[in-house]
Amino acid sequence: MSAALPEDAAGEISGRKRTRRLRLTRVPAPLLAGVVVVSFFLLCAIAPEAIAPYDPIAFDYTALLSPPSLAHPFGTDQFGRDILSRTIAASTIDLQIAIFATIAPLVIGTLVGLFIGYYGGWADILFGRLVDLVVTFPFLVIVIAIVAVLGPGLFNMYVAVSVIGWVFYARLTRGEVMVLQQYDYVAAAKVLGYSQARILFRHILPNAARPVLVYWMTDMALAILLGSSLGYLGLGAQPPTAEWGVLIADGKNFFSQAWWITVFPGFAIVLCGIGFSLLGDGLADLLDVKR
Amino acid sequence: MSARLTEPVLRVDNLGVRFDTPRGAVNAVSGVSLTVGAGEVLGLVGESGSGKSVTLRALMRLLRRNATASGRVIWRGEDLLAAPERRLREVRGREIAMIFQEPMTALNPVLTIAQQIDESLVAHRNLDERARRARAVELLDLVGIPSASVRLDNYPHEFSGGMRQRAMIAIALAAEPSLLLADEPTTALDVTIQDQILKLLLGLVADLGMAMILVTHDLGVVAETCDRVCVMYAGRVVESGPVSAVFASPRHAYTHALLRSMPSGEAARQPLTPIQGQPPRLDRPIVGCAFAPRCAFVMDACRAATPPLMLVGEGREAACLAADRLAALETVA
Amino acid sequence: MNAVAASAPLLEVDDLGKSFTLRRTAWDGLRGRAAPVLRAVNGVSFAVERGRTLGIVGESGCGKSTLARCLVRLLEPDNGSVRFEGVDVLRLEGAERRAFNRRVQMVFQDPYGSLNPRLSVGDCLSEALVVHDLARGPAVARRVEELLDLVHLPRDAADRYPHEFSGGQRQRIGIARALAVEPSLIIADEPVSALDVSVQAQIVNLFLELQERLGLALVFITHDLRLVRHVSHDLAVMYLGRVLETGPTERIFSAPRHPYTQALLAAAPQMTPRRRSRDEAVRGELPSPVAPPPGCAFHPRCPIAQPICRERVPALEPRGGDWPVACHLAGSGAS
Repeated sequence: MSAALPEDAAGEISGRKRTRRLRLTRVPAPLLAGVVVVSFFLLCAIAPEAIAPYDPIAFDYTALLSPPSLAHPFGTDQFGRDILSRTIAASTIDLQIAIFATIAPLVIGTLVGLFIGYYGGWADILFGRLVDLVVTFPFLVIVIAIVAVLGPGLFNMYVAVSVIGWVFYARLTRGEVMVLQQYDYVAAAKVLGYSQARILFRHILPNAARPVLVYWMTDMALAILLGSSLGYLGLGAQPPTAEWGVLIADGKNFFSQAWWITVFPGFAIVLCGIGFSLLGDGLADLLDVKR
Repeated sequence: MSARLTEPVLRVDNLGVRFDTPRGAVNAVSGVSLTVGAGEVLGLVGESGSGKSVTLRALMRLLRRNATASGRVIWRGEDLLAAPERRLREVRGREIAMIFQEPMTALNPVLTIAQQIDESLVAHRNLDERARRARAVELLDLVGIPSASVRLDNYPHEFSGGMRQRAMIAIALAAEPSLLLADEPTTALDVTIQDQILKLLLGLVADLGMAMILVTHDLGVVAETCDRVCVMYAGRVVESGPVSAVFASPRHAYTHALLRSMPSGEAARQPLTPIQGQPPRLDRPIVGCAFAPRCAFVMDACRAATPPLMLVGEGREAACLAADRLAALETVA
Repeated sequence: MNAVAASAPLLEVDDLGKSFTLRRTAWDGLRGRAAPVLRAVNGVSFAVERGRTLGIVGESGCGKSTLARCLVRLLEPDNGSVRFEGVDVLRLEGAERRAFNRRVQMVFQDPYGSLNPRLSVGDCLSEALVVHDLARGPAVARRVEELLDLVHLPRDAADRYPHEFSGGQRQRIGIARALAVEPSLIIADEPVSALDVSVQAQIVNLFLELQERLGLALVFITHDLRLVRHVSHDLAVMYLGRVLETGPTERIFSAPRHPYTQALLAAAPQMTPRRRSRDEAVRGELPSPVAPPPGCAFHPRCPIAQPICRERVPALEPRGGDWPVACHLAGSGAS
């Protein structure tokens, strides 16, 4: 009882104004940071030419492998291309990867998880075995194997990631839905004669969405890492496309003389990943609903 | 049973408990004073948020870290709130024992009942192993667990709800405490089992000469078991006195309303008399009597200042400006 | 019994049964034992008349909540029949089933879990109206206001979300939601047991008032005997899945016939401190519903049990009295 006391005492009607004020003035700091970082990368992705100081593919033989300076804050590569501009330009591809590699798993996985969690039965048993199978293999290894079969390239990478990735969303959603089904508001909806579609999409899905959306944010960060890894290995984006992993791969031969070629795109990957993670954390707070 | 003029074993003076929460301070308990005599059963009754459980936990300093207790808890001439932690550990379990609402969370699931009783016996009594085993069997017998010597080696999950509560009482009794604190011990139980446990506690109090403080939200439980009662509302004691007198003619408007809101079970399909509204929030200062907004007897003076506890009869106190008007009312059915 | 007479009871339950198969432990499986079966509801029959309240009382494991869920078809019974206005509702499907749902509604125990936290009160109530096409356009908002008036909530409650309300207020919202579809029967499963005493009284009064105003029939399920006397015309006492005694509430309270009913009444705490005693109302524990005792399930705890009680399950019959009781010894003068 001692634990519940402050909440008990706060069960008054006046709670309404409190929450409204809370939402406006106390935007959670992680959310704010996440929004700022991700918006910045989105801006870079949408209009790289507006932000980048140089043309990312323009050669400049007067400034080969020049270290970071005022003219080239991130330095230049072996062809004199501006690393800052190339990093900015690469964000277009990398954010595309973040979205395209995760959108199909998000939608398919959530729907599959919703139905399996709600209806159960043999589909659930089958799904359980599938999850066991998928989680016992290292994710990266399966994706590489699939891309190797389909051939290198971004589209094939999306296919490979989606074939495996939806399972994680489905597992997450299924668990949430099974818990939510126990709630009496779902029982009330059934007793009120609501259709199954209405119960699933209006009463269960919105309440199950929070962990899924949070996971999606993390997954986008992971997708960028994965895309960069595959780009580095030559299985993802193909040069001359500017992609962070490709940029890092380009710089690896010059690492001892020109560390900036690899390090700055690496920073971009880390920063973007942190941005999505913060956004996910913040979203978790924001979408948390009091019961 | 009711009139005892013995020296109180426990005296609580002006106890206050404040919780510091992210949303501000919550005064869960303020200015609570009470006494318990030897062999007496004191009921602490109130609705959720009234501070009854917090009061009980504060007596043994079993509060969460964000809580601050003030005032004095005098046990055998010593202030427990000021006592060093080492002294407190001696008191806990040995002199004052406690039982809880949910035995499954209070019992250790990986130890047998025998081991848990043994733990208490080793800590508090000087007995060899065989004597401890014999004492443990005796204790299970005492709390009415059949085939005690066999059940002793069971784990808590092998007991039913009522039997678990009995086992927890046996563990509490192991060190022969002089005061038993019971925090809603029957709230999670079915009626027929609640009845058994209450009767058991009553018998133990009488046979072992223990005193007991029983926290409950159920006035019926108070009527069935307690000698005296303290009624709490919004963190304060609003009325105290012998149970029969308080039930027959309450002198605080809240006690009056609470008794009337209880389904008496004596009338068929008659509307009850609820108390309108809800208890106040404790994270804001309360000016005047906390019950005033819901009170049928409210006067202007009630809203001006918190009414003090006043003597309203033999061994009776009430913090109500309408005490005289309530006394003039006919007794509550 | 099959004739759909105007005088037929609103709800008629006959020989209803519902079992759950529990998980078999690996050890049981190795020894070739069948999975244990919990017979939650076993041969339950009763009737509810229009505008009247049937109270169902019992302790944990007696099957009262399973019974409630069978009545609204949240669970499908294994056997027996549930007739609503003479129609067997267990056979209804599709549109007919939805029409039945409109007539029989449920109020739940947990005020915190029974409302969708993401729907405002107004959305929650209007959804029911729109789905069943009971109101359109501006009439929806008007009807929502009416419903809020009916359960004594302020009209501006419509714009607020469940977490902004106290337990008692949420229970009012749950009742308003049930009333939205204009039912003639409400199944209330422990609707006040999660609430404080003073708030309990508010909700009980609301039920009494609504019944009066709307002519509702009510099945009120509770473990609290004192409470049930305040709300119900008729009473059914359940123990381990069976009804042991059923009849007019007042008469059962003044002269209970089954030893278990007598024990329940004796065990309920009295509000009169003077009548205190140290005698237990009934000995023993509640048996596990997975392995109920043979014969009369109450016999191990019964003060007057005879050999026959261990052998044969007593049927629910009048046995020389005015209402049926499932006790071999009732009417024989032993009780």
